[in-house]
Amino acid sequence: MLFRQAGIFHTDYSADRALFPIPADRWMIGILLLLALAAPIYMNTLYLSSYLLPWLVWTAGALGLNLILGWAGQFHLGYAAVMGIGAYAAVHATRAGIPWEIAIVLAGITAAVIGSVFAFAALRVKGLYLALSTLALQFVMDWTISHVPAISGGTQATLQAPDIRLLGWAVTSDAGLYYVALVWCVLVTSFMLNLRRTALGRALVAVREKDYAAAVIGVNSFYFKLVAFATSSFIGGVSGAILIGTFYHAVTPEQFSVDVSIQALAMVIVGGLGSIISSYFGAAFILLMPGVMNSFISWAATKFGFSLGIETLAHLPQAFYGALIIGFLLIEPLGLGKIYNNIRDYLLVWPFGYTKK
Amino acid sequence: MDAISLMESAANGALIGLMYSLVAMGIVLIYKSSSVPNLAQGSMTMLAAYVLLAFANSAGAPIWAAISLAIITMFIIGMAIERVALRRLAGRPIIMILMMTLGLEIFLRAGSMTIWGGTTRPMNLGISDAPLFLGPLLINRAYAFGAVVTIAMFGFFVLFFRSRMGVVLRAISDDYTAAWSVGISVERGVALSWAMSAVVATIAGVLWSSVQGVDQSLAQLLLKGVTVAVLGGLDSIGGALLAGVLLGVVEGIASSVLDPLLGGASRDLVDAAMLILTILIRPHGLFGRHDIERV
Amino acid sequence: MTLKDRGGDAPVLECRSVERRFSGIVALNGIDMRIERGEIFGLVGPNGCGKTTLTNAITGFYPPQRGHILLNGRDITGLAPHYVATLGVARTFQNLALFNGMSVLDNILLGRHIHMKPSVGRTALYWWLARSDETLNRAAVEDVIDFLQLESVRDELVDGIPIGLKKRVELARALAAEPSFLILDEPMAGMNQEEKEYMARFILDARDERNVTVLLIEHHMDVITGICDRMLALNYGEMIGSGVPADVVADPRVIEAYIGGAHVAR
Repeated sequence: MLFRQAGIFHTDYSADRALFPIPADRWMIGILLLLALAAPIYMNTLYLSSYLLPWLVWTAGALGLNLILGWAGQFHLGYAAVMGIGAYAAVHATRAGIPWEIAIVLAGITAAVIGSVFAFAALRVKGLYLALSTLALQFVMDWTISHVPAISGGTQATLQAPDIRLLGWAVTSDAGLYYVALVWCVLVTSFMLNLRRTALGRALVAVREKDYAAAVIGVNSFYFKLVAFATSSFIGGVSGAILIGTFYHAVTPEQFSVDVSIQALAMVIVGGLGSIISSYFGAAFILLMPGVMNSFISWAATKFGFSLGIETLAHLPQAFYGALIIGFLLIEPLGLGKIYNNIRDYLLVWPFGYTKK
Repeated sequence: MDAISLMESAANGALIGLMYSLVAMGIVLIYKSSSVPNLAQGSMTMLAAYVLLAFANSAGAPIWAAISLAIITMFIIGMAIERVALRRLAGRPIIMILMMTLGLEIFLRAGSMTIWGGTTRPMNLGISDAPLFLGPLLINRAYAFGAVVTIAMFGFFVLFFRSRMGVVLRAISDDYTAAWSVGISVERGVALSWAMSAVVATIAGVLWSSVQGVDQSLAQLLLKGVTVAVLGGLDSIGGALLAGVLLGVVEGIASSVLDPLLGGASRDLVDAAMLILTILIRPHGLFGRHDIERV
Repeated sequence: MTLKDRGGDAPVLECRSVERRFSGIVALNGIDMRIERGEIFGLVGPNGCGKTTLTNAITGFYPPQRGHILLNGRDITGLAPHYVATLGVARTFQNLALFNGMSVLDNILLGRHIHMKPSVGRTALYWWLARSDETLNRAAVEDVIDFLQLESVRDELVDGIPIGLKKRVELARALAAEPSFLILDEPMAGMNQEEKEYMARFILDARDERNVTVLLIEHHMDVITGICDRMLALNYGEMIGSGVPADVVADPRVIEAYIGGAHVAR
């Protein structure tokens, strides 16, 4: 009922390929966009800048990883390194006086060029071996970033990111930074939505599913793997740059360590591979979980009157995070996106559930 | 850099490398039986060291008794991990399985820290600090002990794979459908390989914690273990042994040459470079089977 | 209708003493084959005789070690499979090679790949750069869907449709590329008589209406003799007979290969 499909007729092919053919979906997206635009008005700045903003940027980042993992089917265990490259490139560029809007494009291009190195591993091997070689590349990049003073700004140094200036205007307010993140997230999302209906997206899926069948219809697997790695690295690099510019305001090597790569991977997998809305869910889940966990523990501690050591408190959310990944893979391997789809499928015909095949 | 100290780095490197082999053997055992790349081997090693400490310190057991108790505990934990986390994922895409072992890695690592805390604690096996003299070369006694234990473990596995149960495991690793059809319980075989891998992790944990103490850094042995396992060929125990020596020597020499140039900590870089080069040049490793997924 | 009426006498495909070995085993030995424009050319032989190896040699998966393959007079020996596809060679597989996670429509749209320009820019700016192209190609795909009567399953996932329809979808994907040369590797394997007749009709129509030259690999002799203009029989990688189907199937060597010589002799 809610997402009624009956009575919707398309009279031309482009309408059939519209992003959201069901009017209820269009309404929902419109309302969500309005809510997102109006967020600085009704939302407390603390929530806006410490939850909503990083969620949007991480969603964009997770979508980039989903492009390579969910669409092109190539493993990438070094995504954080790619984000880090973008972040460092942008910070160095702005410190050198390049305007921020150009700096983030440079960041994306740098990340895309270096990130394409990963594609050459993908040319040789796939599956587990690709996963391991991207993991090793993550270590190499980590090492390079933290051991080359010209990049990291000296050992154990944090490099301050200059304030964002857009077209000469300094963007320093929480609302301004939030809008930067929102625009980027919307851009990446619309790109990914288009990917579902263009020749590029189909070619990537073809490479993922059967490479010999892809070759037979004229798809050059290597070229499209390269495109996938470069595009996903571009998205990752810009996301990294925006994460630094709008959220951290300073860059350190630990922000893009191997643990962060695993975190990005967890977002994509807990969300659901190859689905766009899933990346939103996955990023929200992985980002919010430690905070929720912490407040739950302190609530439980006061409620049941036990006290925990500092060590325990520091590591328990992390252990819980590991347990959640395990739990998700066991119970719903297709992720949060699948749960959303189940609900949506139910509502498609609600309240006439018996009409389902 | 004179020849003696270079040889010393190489010799000690070879011994350390053998201790890496121990971590790699755990990965190989599991990969052989079920084609699961266990990225939790490092944190299993770390967990084992904590378990041992718990037996030795809290329960006050003598060290050898504590080691035996830790081995038994880890045997059970290994089986439990396979039963709870991995068995249901059989036949799923490799990305799910990789993510599962990564989840296990995080869970075991953070779980041990939650229970036992993160400060480094010493582990004393009663090995003296005085170096051994091999001609003009100074050899670390703990490394030498570790290398001997590793070779003993390798000998054990050579014998084991000739035993009835070992033949069963080899059959499973060769073709589990065929193993099924002749009445082998594949599940039990895979569980046993996890249990054995956990035991190997315990021994690695004991040896490594006697060298560097018990703390989170034990989990970082994963990178070494994976590098050695891939270099040797993911399904070859003997390959893991030789690749360990090779990696140890390369690492020892390279870091003694590179450290002054790069300002230290070049070991991890050497490992990662070795891993990438192996995969790009010879993905099936030195002694692995050729039927590796290639593009 | 004679061969000449269908246009020109340049061969669409020519194999000149093609040879392919797999570590010592000779899979193809000295194969000569000329396929004229507008022909339906049959390729038969017992299992393992090298039929599929020959198609793999033509499409570039296993390039021949000796000999040449010419497409419309151009040497395509050893070119990469995806490049051969762009030159107008399409094929189907014996065991199907569809993209199971995609809809029938997307599978056939992928057949249009060589006529489209997939790029990041066009994807990002879909509304301005890609929409008209997508729509045009969609129209071409709908033609093929009409032609092969696949309207009812257009939006289904390929995974969920019956095998007979999957074979038809694969044919549709191949035809969507508007190939000049089409290789069909056992398109009727596992089909009943009615489905076979349908498929045979589609192949004939494809040749007549869409101007494709067809290389048809098939075990069903009734189909081969029914719709092929000429044919070639292989055994153990060697040519054992070629020409008009009626002559070839009467050739004792072909009968020997298929039924076994000793029984015929007695």
